[in-house]
Amino acid sequence: MKPEDLEQKLQRQPLRQIPGEWREEILSAANKVGTARRAVRGRLGEASLPNWFSSLLWPHPAAWAGLAAVWILILAVDFSMRDQAPVTAEKSAPPSPEVIVELKQQQRMLAELIGPRDEHDADRSKSFVPQPRSERTEILTA
Amino acid sequence: MRGPDLRRLYDEHAGPLYAFLLNLTRDEADTRDLLQDVFVKLARDEDLLNGVRDERAFLVRLAHNAAIDLIRRRGTRDKTREQFAAEIISPFAPTSDPDERTFRTVLAGALAELPPDQRAVVHLKLWERLTFEQIADALDIPLNTAASRYRYGLDKLRERLRPIYEEIK
Repeated sequence: MKPEDLEQKLQRQPLRQIPGEWREEILSAANKVGTARRAVRGRLGEASLPNWFSSLLWPHPAAWAGLAAVWILILAVDFSMRDQAPVTAEKSAPPSPEVIVELKQQQRMLAELIGPRDEHDADRSKSFVPQPRSERTEILTA
Repeated sequence: MRGPDLRRLYDEHAGPLYAFLLNLTRDEADTRDLLQDVFVKLARDEDLLNGVRDERAFLVRLAHNAAIDLIRRRGTRDKTREQFAAEIISPFAPTSDPDERTFRTVLAGALAELPPDQRAVVHLKLWERLTFEQIADALDIPLNTAASRYRYGLDKLRERLRPIYEEIK
């Protein structure tokens, strides 16, 4: 059996015909979907949106709308948190007089331990005047 | 905005798509569902055919993808059903000639034994008269793959049909 013979023989076999009643059934099902789709797009206000915007959102406008809603929610929560922060600070109770007295006592004790503020090392170093070594020995022996 | 001209598309392409899908699924109900899916897809996405040079090749690709999805969904569970169906439904027209009837029955069975990938290429080459380039484009496969699938498929058909072919020649 030559390959060409077989191919020709096979090509001559007529294929089954599509049932005639399918035409209207399939087309009406497809048209129904197409019409519904166009109606939904119309209802979504495609006409009022610029073409580039609608093509950007298509084919999942619901998903984009959901994403936008989530962002709006996040921003709303963020703003509400910001508003609450100063209020919390204002609402915190002022320190009691005992605490203030205690703090002042601690401050006083610290000042006593450290000593007067004008006796800084830096100031002392300024008062040092270098002298010849011979004069310094005289001071020590005096 | 008006959708694509579905009536024209149906009249021009539904017949060949039907035979192609029937050859792949071997089930008339599945074929009808898949064909309807193709046209629903066209109706749903009005721009689907924009920029398409070869409508037939594009529609064959849609149909083929849908059929492969269906075959995968069926999986091993329905393999027996497919084999049964191969005996019942044939993609070829009925005939009153007994020799031809026998040949077509054996041919339908031999085609059903081919893997779907080879069957698709063989169908498009023999009964759609597409070139390997068109087949490669339609099925989204390399040209060499299309040619080799056809060669393997035809070899298997030859082996399977040899006895009956010699008999009725």
